[in-house]
Amino acid sequence: MNELIDALMVLLVLMNLRLLGSSRLAACIRIVATEGIALGLLPLLLVWSQTSASSVEPGLSGRMIFLSVASVLTRGVLFPWLLLKAQRDAKVRREAEPFLSYPLSIIAGVLTLVLSFWLRSRLPPSFASGPPLLVPVALSTILVGLLVVVSRRLAISQVLGYIVMENGIYVLGLALVREIPALVEMGVLLDAFVAVFVMSIVTHHISRQFDHIDVDQMDSLKG
Amino acid sequence: MKVSYLLWAVLVLPAAAGGACLLLRSVRAALLWVVVAVGAASAVAAAAAWSVFTGGPIEAGAGWLYLDALSAYHLLLLHAVFLLSSIYAYSYFRREASFGAAQARRFGALWMGSLAAMALVLVSNNLGIVWVGVEATTLLTAFLICTHVSPSSLEATWKYLIMCSVGVAFAFIGTLLVAASAGSSHLATGDALLWTHLRAVAANLDPATLKMGFIFLLVGYGTKTGLVPMHNWLPDAHSQAPAPVSAVFSGFLLNTALYCILRYVPLVEIATKNSHWALDLLVGFGVLSILIAGAFIVFQHDAKRLLAYHSVEHMGIIALGVGLGGLGTFAAMFHVLNHSLCKSLGFCSAGRLGQMYGTHDIAQMAGSAHDAPVWGRGFLLSLLALIGLAPFAIFMSEFQILKAAADRSAFGIMTLFLAGTGVVFVGALRHAIGAAWDPPVRHPTPEHAGVVDRALVLVPLAILLVLGLWMPESLRLALNQAADVIRGLPQKGGF
Repeated sequence: MNELIDALMVLLVLMNLRLLGSSRLAACIRIVATEGIALGLLPLLLVWSQTSASSVEPGLSGRMIFLSVASVLTRGVLFPWLLLKAQRDAKVRREAEPFLSYPLSIIAGVLTLVLSFWLRSRLPPSFASGPPLLVPVALSTILVGLLVVVSRRLAISQVLGYIVMENGIYVLGLALVREIPALVEMGVLLDAFVAVFVMSIVTHHISRQFDHIDVDQMDSLKG
Repeated sequence: MKVSYLLWAVLVLPAAAGGACLLLRSVRAALLWVVVAVGAASAVAAAAAWSVFTGGPIEAGAGWLYLDALSAYHLLLLHAVFLLSSIYAYSYFRREASFGAAQARRFGALWMGSLAAMALVLVSNNLGIVWVGVEATTLLTAFLICTHVSPSSLEATWKYLIMCSVGVAFAFIGTLLVAASAGSSHLATGDALLWTHLRAVAANLDPATLKMGFIFLLVGYGTKTGLVPMHNWLPDAHSQAPAPVSAVFSGFLLNTALYCILRYVPLVEIATKNSHWALDLLVGFGVLSILIAGAFIVFQHDAKRLLAYHSVEHMGIIALGVGLGGLGTFAAMFHVLNHSLCKSLGFCSAGRLGQMYGTHDIAQMAGSAHDAPVWGRGFLLSLLALIGLAPFAIFMSEFQILKAAADRSAFGIMTLFLAGTGVVFVGALRHAIGAAWDPPVRHPTPEHAGVVDRALVLVPLAILLVLGLWMPESLRLALNQAADVIRGLPQKGGF
């Protein structure tokens, strides 16, 4: 089963790089949604691989399936729906010129991956358990999300960056803490959903007040 | 009645009241309902805190809810700040013609929701839920900033949302790392996030992982606390929000995030065998915040931004006090109380002056001590108290922090602290005197301050004055109990 998990991780890395390289908002939103669906399936794969490796570990529980479904629905359906709606409202198709050009962004994305593998080799041994790609890909995804938040100018792109960051943290959580209590996980998912919801409402207000959603141009408050 | 029910009531009461607020029809009803509901919640919180201070920590919900001296003390402050600000909100919004019933309903619901979320942060034992609570406060309060939708309030809201969401996401990484550091301590897996369990096995946590986690936590929750250099959102949000919201932001929202950092301090210190590693980090961030905020205060001309930078400074002072340890921890806890009271008063006064003068520019408010006897003097005195003028209580807590630095012979830190607060003193004094007694530039609308308005100014000032001169024995014990939690000492309990 580990091959499948590794394949999923590689898919995540490729998605991140595609996100860094594309300027069309609708495409970016779909990429992030695909990531979300892939990640929703990850906990199921993890449990499955453990069950086949040792017979001691408990198998799939209803709780896990429920969380997986909730995660796929939120990240794969609700988020893109909210964001595509916000994008239609604001009538923008493309990111303006980001602070970091697209080729440079992709190079930076590759660098985050190098950095993450290096970090992984420096971490204490307690991180060594579990599939080897999980931690570095998680770290790289978090960094890519951060990069998108700081380098893009449009409100929607920044929200996308935030979601990618959350995705990375989600993977990191699976890698570090096997059993996060379901209530906590639900809370985190709910928070992520409300965050995107609130951000898309504020985006709507911004596009109505300013006639654009280029948050870089909002710079009246200083000092 | 079992005391553990009180913990549930602290959460459920404000949440339910917030929902009910959506059904009210008029501005007046919604605002009054908020005052009544916050009053009731305060009574419950006081009862819970009393039980903690006299009888030791309370647990509820199979160990998921937990109230010890540190959180009980913060819970009391939270409700005090909310009560003051809710009463003030009634008189503030009633004066705004553009504030309609729909806005009032939304305000009430979000206001009570924020109270519930902050209470959730304080009474949760599960560090994951603590994080969920902090993120929830960000999302609930975001719309409070743009109660009046305008380009600049939207700009502030967006900055706040993105910076705090991303920052607080870092804190979640930190929380995960802390949970992972328990890996070798053979915790039952479900308990790895419970603070009481981590505290019990703190000596066996993996120091390297824990330290890494603490850095993430400090950066993450530090963003929301407004520690330099993660403070950029703070002056914008504080200045654009309506005054009652600013009062709550500055009076307690920042403390909520700081409280989360304080929770982890004893874990790290015990795991690293009292190496002062976490404490030194706090000292560093504290001193930096004081110095940078000082520089901005001198050149500030907007009353609310001035107060916002004071918040950065005072969060720095609290972090510094905790970082110094010993007497400093006690003084920091005392300072939390003083700052919250004083800052609520400051924002309330600045807000009403802003309504009367139609601007928050300090130069335009010249002569306010004469033209607006209640709020003008309230603003003046709150600024004087904030910069540490004796005999107000902030002078006492800052003096104790200085003494804590001297006890540790940390003279370099002492010098920086004195330099920072000195710059603030001179800079802010100039603003305060100018606003109070300079020849008037504008004629404000008349004040019409009622009994409640006067009480809102006088009560916090009286408390600050009394505490500066004399500290009741029960408060000293309560502060010491709270400080002992941070110092990692066992709870003695009982007054």
